[in-house]
Amino acid sequence: MDSTADNLLMFKVRDGDVGKFSFLFERHHRALFNFFLRLTGNRDLSEDLVQEVFFRMLKYRHTFRADSQFSAWMYQVARNAYVDHFRKHKHEAVLSDGEEDDSTSEPSSPELTPEERLGKRQEACLVRQALARLSVDKREVLILSRYQGLKYEEIANILGCEVGTVKGRVFRAIRDLSEIFFQLSREGSGMSAAG
Amino acid sequence: MNCEQVKPQFADYLVRNLSEEANIEVQRHLTVCDPCRNELQILESTWTRLGTLPEQKPSPTMRARFYAALEAYQDQLQSTQAATKRRVTLTDWLDGWWPKRQAVQLATALLLFVVGLGMGRWLPPKDRSTEEMAHLRDELRDMRQLVTLSLLQQQSASERLKGVNWSYQIAQPDDRVVTALLETLNSDPNVNVRLGAVDALQQLAGHAGVRASLVQSLPRQESPIVQVALIDLLVELKEGRSAEVLRKLVHDNRLHKAVRARAETGLKQIS
Repeated sequence: MDSTADNLLMFKVRDGDVGKFSFLFERHHRALFNFFLRLTGNRDLSEDLVQEVFFRMLKYRHTFRADSQFSAWMYQVARNAYVDHFRKHKHEAVLSDGEEDDSTSEPSSPELTPEERLGKRQEACLVRQALARLSVDKREVLILSRYQGLKYEEIANILGCEVGTVKGRVFRAIRDLSEIFFQLSREGSGMSAAG
Repeated sequence: MNCEQVKPQFADYLVRNLSEEANIEVQRHLTVCDPCRNELQILESTWTRLGTLPEQKPSPTMRARFYAALEAYQDQLQSTQAATKRRVTLTDWLDGWWPKRQAVQLATALLLFVVGLGMGRWLPPKDRSTEEMAHLRDELRDMRQLVTLSLLQQQSASERLKGVNWSYQIAQPDDRVVTALLETLNSDPNVNVRLGAVDALQQLAGHAGVRASLVQSLPRQESPIVQVALIDLLVELKEGRSAEVLRKLVHDNRLHKAVRARAETGLKQIS
């Protein structure tokens, strides 16, 4: 199923065939969940936000226009839901920067040795820590482009800015993240030297 | 290109989005500029490292929450639409038929009141289900069937168990659901899911072929707990065709003694 099929399904939903919405849920809920999880680091909150996004898309389905792209529209709604949530809960920490329950991860390749598996887990943990130290706007643009597979033009459409702004932000995000990785490796080697 | 012109291209370079011409320009600059080459190497390495973060699975309850919310929304939508439709029809009807003169209006109202009283007293209550409601029910049933079938094919046992439970919500499941449940009973690797399927199939015992399939399934089961549950069900259904299978179970020394004992009592109960 491609983006055209997504758009056709959403048109049907918009025109009253609400049952078709389940196909869109099945196709996109997981990607959306991972978007929120990488953004917030909080599983429960991410699941709540996914529900909120699908509910909002249903409620405001008449705003899906003939020239809309479903995934761009979905991430627009997702972004609004996320912004609204943190406007209401300002006091809450944005991102937990560490361990994630690996039991819910995709199963790793069976051919890996236990050492290799441990190495992969540690690396994933490091990436989470690094992402958590990045500012929200940079983290967001990086997640949309690196993990959600969106083109810079689509991201610009979602964020309501110029493509050049997105490219600049991605560049600065990756540069900052490289610096954070460097700091984390120094902290790690400092800790092991102290230990 | 100089350093100032090359750096804005890095974001496109990372996602392989540069035109052939721009790519050649960037490569040409990198061969002569060590700082830019080093910086891009670091950025590429960071970009690659991001790929090590695995995708996570949401909890199974998320899907159930969504479908419950969707169903509630559909119900609400249908009742609102039906109410609107009724209102419009009544208004249109009144516009066409309601007399314009006040005296005639009063007389009509009185007449209608008396007729209404009479009808209320003498007419039997009528079934108000319309064709539209029947259509809606069919759609809801199709959606539930779809969810059930989709859940039964999931890798996670808890998801499949949820699929089994969803089957209870289908008013008259079609052959696909029945076949899927029988398949689950015969070959699901998880005991709890197979047990769930026994219970679900009890509700469908009236469906063509289910009883015979339950009888055939009994000798295929290996878990004592599923065997006992299935014997219980066949006895409850008073399924005469199971006698031969039960007799074999009674004499099968490899089976758990509780299973053989249950088969023996079962045999007496159905004969």
